[in-house]
Amino acid sequence: MTFSSYEFLKVERHGPVGWLINNRPDQLNAMNNGMRDEFEVAWKELDADPAVRVIVHTGEGRAFQTGVDVTEIATDGQGFERYRESMENFDIRFTAWHNQVWKPVITAVNGICAGGGFHWVADADIVIAASDATFFDPHVSVGQVVSVEAIGLMRKMPVEAVMRMAFVGRYERMSAARAYELGMISEIVDPPERLREVAQELAEKIAKNSPAAMAATKRALVGALELGLTDACKAGAAELVSMWGHPDQTEGPLAFTEKREPNWQELAREPE
Amino acid sequence: MADAGVAHGHYETLLVERRGPVGWLIFNRPDAANAMDATMLDELERAWTELDADPSVRVIVNTGEGRAFQTGVDVVQLSRQPEAMRAQSRRTRNAELRLTAWHNQVWKPVIAAVNGVCAGGGLHFVADADIVIAAANATFLDPHVSLGQVTAYEAIGLVRKMPVESVMRMALIGRQERISAARAYELGMISQVVDPPEQLRDEAQALAEKIAQNSPAAMAATKRALWGALEMGLTDACKAGAAELVSMWGHSDQTEGPLAFTEKREARWL
Repeated sequence: MTFSSYEFLKVERHGPVGWLINNRPDQLNAMNNGMRDEFEVAWKELDADPAVRVIVHTGEGRAFQTGVDVTEIATDGQGFERYRESMENFDIRFTAWHNQVWKPVITAVNGICAGGGFHWVADADIVIAASDATFFDPHVSVGQVVSVEAIGLMRKMPVEAVMRMAFVGRYERMSAARAYELGMISEIVDPPERLREVAQELAEKIAKNSPAAMAATKRALVGALELGLTDACKAGAAELVSMWGHPDQTEGPLAFTEKREPNWQELAREPE
Repeated sequence: MADAGVAHGHYETLLVERRGPVGWLIFNRPDAANAMDATMLDELERAWTELDADPSVRVIVNTGEGRAFQTGVDVVQLSRQPEAMRAQSRRTRNAELRLTAWHNQVWKPVIAAVNGVCAGGGLHFVADADIVIAAANATFLDPHVSLGQVTAYEAIGLVRKMPVESVMRMALIGRQERISAARAYELGMISQVVDPPEQLRDEAQALAEKIAQNSPAAMAATKRALWGALEMGLTDACKAGAAELVSMWGHSDQTEGPLAFTEKREARWL
């Protein structure tokens, strides 16, 4: 399968792992109009490719992602108006969650993650970071509201830390070590140069699991963030039962009993 | 802090002060471990409202005088003069509490600076602050069930904001155990431990002054978006949050911020 060409992203495949790499290193990977449009294309392309079992998202250079390109906003005469319709309808397509990607997504934070960069931390399934990565949210320091990305994070980690970042703005940074303590990330890679190697190894472990079971699991767990406890368990039970009768669901126990590697079915992309 | 704050309204059980852009709300019944009697319960609503209405106050710090931060409703007054507490009991029953910034719909950033024991109803002020820091010798406990009382509001707030097992353990073990400031930091209940403890107010003032440099309008909309998110499922919360986000578009701070950033100068907020 050949990939589309991208100007502001790199999209690659290494074995069963699809890579989505922010590629505006000289602008600290800030998201301009073009990158915003390419994100939707890239997520859909990786999601549609059955050879891709797991997706890793990282950045080129010393930053992971620093949110919307403030210089473009301040100087192109259009400003935030380009986002008005998609924000008013909450129909943005930046992240895997926005694009309803049900394959596992690992965010590998390679450096600075600032402001809108938190979208891809909040909306990843697994987050790892280089030991020199830092996290901060300068929105209110440049007169902007902190909203969607922090709301996602608040469901997934201690809230006080999210609020502190939201209100302190650019005057303080969180270290990778503190992010690990708080459970915002699950692994620190040291030395930082090994980040991609470690992300690939982690992704290959995950790629050994049943694609269909992982997709249903992801729908159940992400869906649970929408509901109260009992309703979430009911919806989760429906996802659980949906696997019963699927070939993977009998193949797994059989391979375990026969002490061999299981042969999983390819994941069918659900029609939109 | 060297300078005395400027006093405004008169309070018996609180100190309400201004230090630069920072408003201070200080529990001031140190001989009663800052327990809330009927007077303090009334004064809290007035103090939050006063600080919220003062445009020179950009950020509010909440702390206590003496060795305790806050130890909840004054149990001595409750048992000896139950009639004095009647009005507050009705508010509790009707979920009309006015103790905290959240109860009083204060949309300025609020920092709780926990200076010592925080017990029972004192946890309201931890649960409902945006940011919580603590002196190294601060402790947290919830003795409600040890006194035959139910833990509800304050723990419900905390279970939305930190690991739940810790809140349940504190609620059910009552006065038999305390959480240290160090453990509260590990759990993400607080974001800073101040050692030595005497530095707490200086650190709180310094943190508040950093925050006071940010756009007041953007912070108010951020606070509405994030606290509102605790009410809803994720997608609905993001939709409501997106509306708060867009509400800033066209506000002068919202164009001034990126412009000041591009021109490498300090922003001038409305």
